[in-house]
Order: sequence, then C-alpha cells, then structure tokens
Amino acid sequence: MTLAADQWPAYAEPAAGPAGPSDPRQRSGTLVVWRLELAKLRGQWRVRAIALMCLVGPFVIVAGLNVQSATPGDTAFGQWVHTSGFAIPMVILGFGGQWLLPVGTAVVAGDIFSSEDHFGTWKTILTRSRSRGELFAGKFLAALTFATATMVLLIITDLLAGLLAGTQPVVGLGGQLVTASHATELVVVSWLSVIPPVLGFTALAIFTSVASRNSAVGIGVPVVLTLAFQVVTLIALPAWGQQVLLSTPFTAWHGFWEQPAYVGPFLYGLLTSAVWFTLCSAAAWLVFRRRTIGGAS
Amino acid sequence: MTEATGHVVEARGVSKWFGETTALDAVDFTVTPGVVHGLLGPNGAGKTTLLSALFGLVLPDEGTLRLFGRTRAEAGPGWLDGVAGFVETPRFYPYLSGRRNLAVLAGLDGGDAAALIDQALERTGLAGARGRKVKGYSLGMRQRLGLAAAMLRRPRLLILDEPTNGMDPAGIRDLRTALRQLARDGVTVVLSSHNMTQVEEICDAVTVLHRGKIAFAGRLDAMRADAPDPVWRLRTGDDGAALEQARRSAGVKAERHDDGGLVVFAAQDPMDEYVLTLARDGVAIRGLELDVTPLESLFFQLTGEAGQPGETRQTPAGLFIPPARPDNVPVTEEVP
Repeated sequence: MTLAADQWPAYAEPAAGPAGPSDPRQRSGTLVVWRLELAKLRGQWRVRAIALMCLVGPFVIVAGLNVQSATPGDTAFGQWVHTSGFAIPMVILGFGGQWLLPVGTAVVAGDIFSSEDHFGTWKTILTRSRSRGELFAGKFLAALTFATATMVLLIITDLLAGLLAGTQPVVGLGGQLVTASHATELVVVSWLSVIPPVLGFTALAIFTSVASRNSAVGIGVPVVLTLAFQVVTLIALPAWGQQVLLSTPFTAWHGFWEQPAYVGPFLYGLLTSAVWFTLCSAAAWLVFRRRTIGGAS
Repeated sequence: MTEATGHVVEARGVSKWFGETTALDAVDFTVTPGVVHGLLGPNGAGKTTLLSALFGLVLPDEGTLRLFGRTRAEAGPGWLDGVAGFVETPRFYPYLSGRRNLAVLAGLDGGDAAALIDQALERTGLAGARGRKVKGYSLGMRQRLGLAAAMLRRPRLLILDEPTNGMDPAGIRDLRTALRQLARDGVTVVLSSHNMTQVEEICDAVTVLHRGKIAFAGRLDAMRADAPDPVWRLRTGDDGAALEQARRSAGVKAERHDDGGLVVFAAQDPMDEYVLTLARDGVAIRGLELDVTPLESLFFQLTGEAGQPGETRQTPAGLFIPPARPDNVPVTEEVP
C-alpha cells in the first residue's frame, strides 16, 4: 500500500471551494448531525439490544403470566392481569417507571457525548464543517429521538401484547369498570404521560455525560439518582418535596384511572420534568461550549 | 486569504495556560500561502496546542488567531471552511469500518464529500481495508485514514500533526512527495514534527517552538545559514592518528565517542579534505556516516536539547545528539 502522491492534487483544487455550513445550499447543521448520530446509534449493539427488549419484552411477560397463576398483586392493576389484557401494559408501566425507563434512556444519553471522549473523536468531528452548537444540538436531539422512539415502540408492543392476552374491560383504580375502547385510550395516554420525565432523565444523563466525559458516570449517575429518588419517596417528604423529584411524574398516570379522573399530578409532573430538562440542558451546553479538546502536547 | 497580510495563518500574541502550565507564551506564528511550513519542537513544546488552537479545539487565553485573514468571531461557522487535517493521532469510531467512518465525516462536511470517499480510500492505499472495522487498523493505517478524511474537504490549508507517525518508509516517502505536490498546486501545508531531518526534506519554512515560545521562525534556507556544522560518526583503523590529524585540519573538530570511533564536527568541504588526508596518511576509513545534519544541530541548540558543551547523549530513539556549541565558529581543537 502506498500513497498515490500524484493523485492528491485532484482533491486539493482550491477553486472548488470548501464545503460547509457557510454554503446556503447546505441543510441545517443540526439536522445533519442528528441524522449521523442516529446512524451511529444504529451501529451500537446496546441500542439494538434495547430495541429488541422493547419489541419482544411485553410478549415475553404475557407468556410468563400465562404459565403461572400468581399475580403481582401489590402493584396497581396487578390483580387483574389474568382477567384483562389492559392491566398488563399498566403493570409494566408501574414497574418500568420505577427504574427501567430512566435506565433505558441513560444507557444512550449518558454515553452519547462521553463516548467521543472515550474514543478521542471530538477532535475528529470538531475539525469538520460543523460548529460546537450544531454538534451539541444534533447529539442532544438524537438522544431525545432515541428516548421518544423507545417509548413509542413500548406503547405499541405493550398494547399489542395486552390485546393478545384479552380485551375484557378492566377495573380502574377508582373501582369503576373501564370499557375496552376507553381502556385503550387510557393505556396510551398513561404511557404518553411518562415521556416528559423520561426526557428529563435524558437531559440529566446528557449533562452527566458532558460534565464527566465518562460513560460509566454518564449512565451511572442517573441510575443512582433514580434509586435515590425512590428511597427519598419513602421518607415523609412534604408535598412540594415530592413534586420536585423527577421520579414523581412517573406515577402521575394514576389520576387518569381514578373515578373521577384528575390531572393535577400530571400537570405538576410536566412542570417538574420541564424544569429538570431545562436546567440539565443549559448546564450541559455551558460546560460543553468552552471545553478544551485535548491540546496539551 | 487576507488581503492585508497575505497570510493563510496568522497568530499574534497567542497564549494558553493549562492550570500552572504555560503551553503557549505570546506566540506569533504566520504562514504564507502555498508553502509547506514545519512546526518543530521537542515533546511538550506547544506544537499540538498551537495546532489545536488553529482548529478551535483549544481556545487561547490571550491573543488573536486568523485563518485566511478572519478571526473565529468574524468567520462564524465557516471558520474551518477550506481547512483540513488532524491533531495528534487521527481518531475514529472503532466499531465502524474505515469507509463508514469517512461517510460520517463526509456527512458532517456536506457538499460532494461523500462522492470522494472511495477515491480517497483508493489513493491512501486503504481500498482493501475499507470494510474492516477501524479497531483492527494499525497506527499507520489510521494515519492514512486521517489523510483520506482530510482529502474529503478539498483543503486549501492542510494541518497535520506528526503525520508520519507509524508510517512505513514507503508511506513516508510518498507523503513527502504528495505534500510537495500540494504546495506546488497552491495548497498551504502546516505540519508538526520533532524530526528535523523529515522537515528539512519537505518544508520551505519552519517555526521552532520551545517551552511554548518561538525559538526560530523563518525560511529554511535562512535557518541553514545560521546552522552549525554537521556531526559525523567516523570509524578508522587508527583513531589516535585520526584525532591527531583533526587537530591539524582547519574547520574540523573531533573527539572520541563512548561507543568507539570518533565524533567529528565539520562542514562538508573540510570533512572531505580531512577524510582524503587520512587516506593519504594510510589511516583506514572503516565507516563514515552523517549523524546529525546542520539543521538538526541548530534545532538541538535552539531547543536546549543538546545539554552542556562537550556532553553527548542518546535520545530515546537512539539518535546521537551532539554537544551544544556557543556559536557557529569552526572548531579545530578537540574539546577536553
């Protein structure tokens, strides 16, 4: 293998001019980075593993419940898993909201920035035609896209797995009987209601990833915080104390299944998630924008 | 490039500190168009920090940097348009193939970069490895992939940090030829190195950095004019007679080397005369090699790498480093 020196000049034609964001024909740099980050994510085994779990996990749970008579009676809807398929996605949401969903998003978001540190590739991509702002926004959007796509996939597979188990009406948390059509709506709305806190955890994981430059910390800190929030909720916190925890919005869907239904916790949860999301995003950008990449010779 | 100064790269009073460490100390650094400009210095001199600052990877604490006459603030997102290269060893995503890595970078560049990927791989000799994951690449292959990645940007300014690291001799030879060709076609090349010999063979101008400061900046021919005598390793059949002859020869200084043989400081012509005289006197010449070129000698003096006068030592790479000399006056007597 030798460098074909005489063929270099064909590339180095100054008249051709540079490509880059200053060219108005170029697409938005953020979208370019977002698309490339998604392509990179598709190449990672952990992303594929999470997607596979979302795809088949609910069906495996349904199969598991079918071969045993016991029920997870200590969780909401747990006692109804053998009588209505609509109870199954809600039991999964009850478990998942505790730690599975934060962990799932942190696995990607906590690594998406620090993996560049790990591989030493910041200096490779920052010497191309995209600004730090575009790279930050593109990566951030890719992490949010992954989190949202995972949630949408889970909503679909959970609902399908539940429908496979049975479409009988289900008993709501207020003791009322909920018809199949209304239960379908409530299952979807309940799952949608946890997307804001999932995105809050995504921003938190991104911040820890940016600040620590270490994937283990980027993934681990949100997971530890999730567990810490659970411990704290066992303490007799005042109401406002519960509301500022990012784990609290994961249970806001309970109000949708009460008789009469109420949305107060959901709205508080929306605000809490928005505050966490904004603070973590801003902090991540402030750390990232003036970071020195390598440099000391 | 800037109309006002004609410089492709212009750094004025650039300083950078990492905690208590001064990486760059009020550095003035300019590069004119269409030249191959060497940035020289020992490890820790600040070469990589300066190149990183050019790429915007490191933000200077003081001073002004201009590429093509524009500061980063003036250029905005187009700061690196027309600029390509790498600092330190080129790094890529190990879980992607060489081709896929270039596709990611071409995607960031936009334009017709993606259409150049296969040609770039071909021309850097990586066509056969395009589908292999980068984690299986050798250091030399990663250097080549770094060059291929630079090619995608059709650079007008190519910045390369130690580009020959890990390359085989044929690759180094071809890279030198390619960079000279690029310069002839109007591309400006800035390359860092700690190897003076490589720089001599390829560069038109050099800047020597030492402990974050400029030790020398100028054309290579100007540097040659300031350079001390080269250093030769001489093995003879009678070192005592050869030493005695050196004392009598104008412009020649010799001393014994710890590993045997002699170390001779002399310009080309006095050295030729000295060797011919030895032969006429019946002293067998068993070996003669140029150990340190004049520019290497000057480099070592500028960077304080030569130690004290009369002291000789070996670099980690085994290169013989001559004793520092206070001036360029030919010496005819052996240093005690």
